[in-house]
Amino acid sequence: MHRLPLRLAAAIGLIGLVSGCNLPPPESDPEARAEYFETNDPLEPLNRVTHTFNDAVDTLLLRPAAEAYRIFIPQPVRTGVANFLDNLLLPRTAVYSLVQGTPDRAGSAATRFAINSTIGLFGVFDFATDMGYPPMFEDMGQNLAVWAGTTNGGPYIVLPLLGPSNLRDVTGRAVDFFTDPWMYLGQGDTVEALRVARIAVQAVDTRESLIEPLDALRAGSLDYYAALRSAYVQQRARDIRNEGTGQVRYFDWSGANRGPR
Amino acid sequence: MIRRRHVLALIGAASVLGLQAKPCSAADLATTAASFIEKRGNDVINVLNGNSSTDAKREAVSDILRDSVDVRGVAQFVLGRHWRTATEQQRGEYLRLFEETLVRNLSSRFGELRGVTFAIGRSQMASDDEAVVATTVNRPNNPAVNLDWRVSATNGKPLVIDLVAEGTSLRITQRSEYGAVVQRSGGMDGLLRAMRQQLAQMEQREQAN
Repeated sequence: MHRLPLRLAAAIGLIGLVSGCNLPPPESDPEARAEYFETNDPLEPLNRVTHTFNDAVDTLLLRPAAEAYRIFIPQPVRTGVANFLDNLLLPRTAVYSLVQGTPDRAGSAATRFAINSTIGLFGVFDFATDMGYPPMFEDMGQNLAVWAGTTNGGPYIVLPLLGPSNLRDVTGRAVDFFTDPWMYLGQGDTVEALRVARIAVQAVDTRESLIEPLDALRAGSLDYYAALRSAYVQQRARDIRNEGTGQVRYFDWSGANRGPR
Repeated sequence: MIRRRHVLALIGAASVLGLQAKPCSAADLATTAASFIEKRGNDVINVLNGNSSTDAKREAVSDILRDSVDVRGVAQFVLGRHWRTATEQQRGEYLRLFEETLVRNLSSRFGELRGVTFAIGRSQMASDDEAVVATTVNRPNNPAVNLDWRVSATNGKPLVIDLVAEGTSLRITQRSEYGAVVQRSGGMDGLLRAMRQQLAQMEQREQAN
């Protein structure tokens, strides 16, 4: 069992090697060249294979899990769980805002954490939004972008299971893995189980919130891979420039369980 | 000395006027664009919530879109460098399919768009001759969505040239896709084939709704 992921990775790598890299078009075709560098996807043949694999896992496992989550878990519970999970990452967001040179945003993140962790009962209820501290999220990839002074994240990379990324964000992810404070607190089997549960619930919850947007992207696209790639680049640029507004989740006690938040 | 001062004052006044003239006309487009989006948006919503048949609704929406979207401009932008190398016949067919895709994209969602409302937000200039109108769209039982409409008035009449949904530009995403399809499916004819296929799927979805 343990060797299965390795074999899988090896198989994907092999297909990638066989399918090869995209090389830049010749100098004689400047427009094609410009497009090549703008798309910035030299690993496209390999990426498409990984994308197809991810898509299959999504169709067979993740999306059904997200739908089941939506159907069987009451909406207020889902909102509370998602709020709780988001709250856990606010301290790191505060630190990251500081190293990005935006101390006011760092202050907002810290304040939001303080309010929601106390009167919001460990983050389950989001009172901070109404008090002027909306949801926030920063990651290492965004830090790197701010330090480099560009939203260009280098070659596009599709990670197995984790999906769209690029050179900058892969690096960021690796660092983020070690800067998550909750990876260091506590020990023992229970804590380990909680950590695994957190990652699983986070994945399902994130997928649940993306059911409609991704369905729409797929339904409206001629080439789902290219659409996802373009959307990823644009969304990351927006995150880096702090232009987006974080998603505010509302509690709906009416008992209407179906449908997105 | 006095004359000189006069001249300076004149230059100063002119530059102030000049400076003001620009934001003034710019503000004009920003305001026109906002009321244009509001009017056109209400037109579409009236059709959506009406009681006519799907076909009649599609016809009505298609008329509104043709009149308010720079279909040709957007279509050319999306095709990018491949527009120049396409034959006259391919261009014509592409434009026809592009417009129909635009309409079908909306008409295949008539069901889920019932009861939709929107509020006009900030409207500001994005460049010298383009304004961006922010809207918040609400659907019953759905989270609010931020849609930004990029409006250009190059020919004196405001026309939509892009729709940015929560930070993702439709025309940029589409350009990336269409470029990929042209490259991977063997040129323009491959793209046209893929577009026809997609239209057939949309038609099916529309009938299923």
